[in-house]
Amino acid sequence: MLIFSRYTWWVASMIGLAFLLAIMGQTGLLRPFQGVFSVVTTPIDNVFSGAFQPVASFLSNAGNVNSLRDENARLRIENETLSNKVTQLQQDAQTVNDLQAALKIVQSSSSETRVAATVVVIDNTPFTDVVGIDRGSGSGIKVGMVVLSAQGTLMGTVISVNSDSAFVRKITDSKSKVNAHDLESKSDGIVAGTPNRGLTFDLSQADIKVGDTIVTSGLGGNYPPGIPIGKVSAVSGTSQDLFRQVTVEPGVRLSTTTTVLVNTTFVPQRISPATP
Amino acid sequence: MKTVLIVILLLLASLAQLTVAPLFPISGAQADIPLVTMAVLAVYAGPATVMLGMPLVALFLGFGSSRAPGLLIIGYLPLLPLGLAFEEWQLPLNRFVRTILAGAITGLWLRTVLAMGAMVSGAPLAIGPLIGQVLLPGVFFDLALLTLAYLPFRFVGWSGHPMSLRREGFWGSN
Repeated sequence: MLIFSRYTWWVASMIGLAFLLAIMGQTGLLRPFQGVFSVVTTPIDNVFSGAFQPVASFLSNAGNVNSLRDENARLRIENETLSNKVTQLQQDAQTVNDLQAALKIVQSSSSETRVAATVVVIDNTPFTDVVGIDRGSGSGIKVGMVVLSAQGTLMGTVISVNSDSAFVRKITDSKSKVNAHDLESKSDGIVAGTPNRGLTFDLSQADIKVGDTIVTSGLGGNYPPGIPIGKVSAVSGTSQDLFRQVTVEPGVRLSTTTTVLVNTTFVPQRISPATP
Repeated sequence: MKTVLIVILLLLASLAQLTVAPLFPISGAQADIPLVTMAVLAVYAGPATVMLGMPLVALFLGFGSSRAPGLLIIGYLPLLPLGLAFEEWQLPLNRFVRTILAGAITGLWLRTVLAMGAMVSGAPLAIGPLIGQVLLPGVFFDLALLTLAYLPFRFVGWSGHPMSLRREGFWGSN
């Protein structure tokens, strides 16, 4: 016969504390403590990341010669940059065609301000993919702002902000949904994160092919249009299917990115993604 | 002094969970360093230490990330009662196996609670990936790390504490 005695009181008090913390979290009472904690621990986070990131890189590339690894990293960045340039050129060409068709319509342009930040915390709990960055409201960052990789690929959005830190939900988080556009088939859909931190392109009925380029559509107002997301890596299902299963390979290696850019110019409209 | 050292240890374990553990995933899953730390502490520093340390870990992890501290407390909660239960049921298991078992079940529970929390707040309901890509690899990782952390203390001759609470509790063992 189990006699929990003082354990019973401890378990009961822990459950009570959990409820209390849940209420405090919902009402924002924990936010100041989180800000102070972030300020104090960010240097330690940086030390840990700095010490173990090379080890992780080495292990993930085990079997490769160092020079090949460095070259691979350089080529990845170069490849992403070039892919994004191609994407941009395709969009430019489409814009020109549209303008020529419409005649005398002039497209306005606006400059963007981007704040560079370093990833200091990786919060990978089940089904979530969130990172913490070392810039916060003090740098003009607000909830909902769009976060890009150093080469301009979409990474996610800011979900909470402290004075000197912020948390970013990556597009591979299973709660993330981004209205997107396939440049080749000219169809719209929704890029959604999956439980295993992948990406799918859902609700598109066009003839999508492997290699198609996916960018943000701008629909819904949560993201500016035309930000590169990635390329279609697999399409499954038959032509009889209403919606095919489309897998998207992100344009940037989201799991190892250490530097991000926060677009502080774009103001999200906070309108929910389109549903069928 | 012991209190300060334990708080620092738990803080470092929590920060390592947010910075180091994600760098070494297996099949997308990762070990839970604070859970392993608390399991070892429960054996070698006594359960009263973990009783006080567990809410601290939940707060450290909650403040350092976007996780809900309350959910983390619920997630880590079974560790000590399970350890006590396995001890009082007088199962034919030694302390190491009992600790491993309590750690594994708590790890399963913790990940399930966190996944359910994510699903309730908008993530898709995906039981298959939860089991195949989160629970099983995560528990395997926990067991490996717990074994690595536990056995060295055993080899140097530390016998460990029983899970039942002594009257003097945490402060009395200083």
